[in-house]
Amino acid sequence: MTGTRVTGGDHLDQDLSAYLDDELGAAGRARADAHLAACAGCRDALAGLRDVVATARSLEDRGPATDLWRGIERRIAPPPPLPFVLPPRAARRPPGRLRVVRQFSFTLPQLASAAAIVAVLSGGGVWWAMSGARNAGVAATAPDGAGAAGGMGATAAEFEVRRYDAAAADLERVLDQNRGRLDPETVRTVEANLAAIDAAIASARRALAADPANPYLSGHLAEQMQRKIRVLQRAADAVTADYTGAS
Amino acid sequence: MEHSRPGVTPTSVPESARSPGGDAGDVALAAAGDAAAFRRLYEAHVGRVHSLARRMVGCDHADEATQDAFVRAWRKLGSFRGESAFGTWLFRLAVNVMLTRRAQLATRRGREVVDDELLAQQPDRVRSRGLGLDFETAIVALPEGARQVFVLHDVEGYTHEEIATLLGVTSGTSKAQLHRARMLMRRVLAKG
Repeated sequence: MTGTRVTGGDHLDQDLSAYLDDELGAAGRARADAHLAACAGCRDALAGLRDVVATARSLEDRGPATDLWRGIERRIAPPPPLPFVLPPRAARRPPGRLRVVRQFSFTLPQLASAAAIVAVLSGGGVWWAMSGARNAGVAATAPDGAGAAGGMGATAAEFEVRRYDAAAADLERVLDQNRGRLDPETVRTVEANLAAIDAAIASARRALAADPANPYLSGHLAEQMQRKIRVLQRAADAVTADYTGAS
Repeated sequence: MEHSRPGVTPTSVPESARSPGGDAGDVALAAAGDAAAFRRLYEAHVGRVHSLARRMVGCDHADEATQDAFVRAWRKLGSFRGESAFGTWLFRLAVNVMLTRRAQLATRRGREVVDDELLAQQPDRVRSRGLGLDFETAIVALPEGARQVFVLHDVEGYTHEEIATLLGVTSGTSKAQLHRARMLMRRVLAKG
């Protein structure tokens, strides 16, 4: 504890900052005051630190010298039609090297999570669960031939959506963590795809919240979720290939 | 939590960049895919985000880091619940972007960006540009951990507990790094 370190004979050192920030207890502050009264060096240091803090707090914000919006606009613009193309792994390898050092660091549990959610969702599981839960009795045809299934409870639908959210968040986090190691063009392409899909998902969710029984909105949301999973799946496939060394 | 900085003048926002509904209206529009609304949010907040970027990752990487922060914000708008001001949410997101970028840069370089000796040389290089810029340049030259804590605590008003959570360190480490940074910056001011 900072407040207990102040002693009459020692210089205050780190306790100067604690003193300045009023983090010393009453006893520690009294000891510091006693020391400062007798030590010109510590008084001088304290005055200097006060100047530093005052200057830091008075710094003004200023914008960039050049307009950065154009670059942002490019990256958030609607993406080119799916599927995006990851650069061939061979193209990312230095010439003359048979094996490239793994560029990603997905953990096995993360890969397992991705694989599981892809297995569930790529077959139209979300659409099936959502349409079944929200529209029991509403005849519909699921995409990808998954088939309509009434009787699926709301709990199951929420479970699938939660699984989707969790898996997507996991994959996004890992991609974020590895973005510095990825080919910048690949990152931009993935981000552009995800940004457009995320906007569509957010919009569909809001609309569905206002009209929960709307089968079109349920299907639309499920489609957007599947699109996102497909994008993430392709990134995960590339990662998996590197992870396992498959060619 | 809102972090206000006494004495700090907010970045001016051109009248044309403001929307009648303010941030809240533009956030809703942007979340629905309205890029023009998001541009207004960008115009309103880019000064603060870019200043954070300059201080945390340096001028060379500030533009790209700022763009990263806004692109990330665009992607995450759907998760913004309005529980805090949009600016607060954006700033916290930007802090995380900057911390990630710092970690990537440090990994690439395999060392701390600069040492105390280099810091001591900084003021002489930019003295003619005014104390504010001298001070900002010196911030960038601080050792990695000290800079992060100094910017977050003394410039941005975060508490040691918040910094400890953000950086994954103890609050004691945060306090020690803050003191180290302040002592180094004191040398800068003494030279000025």
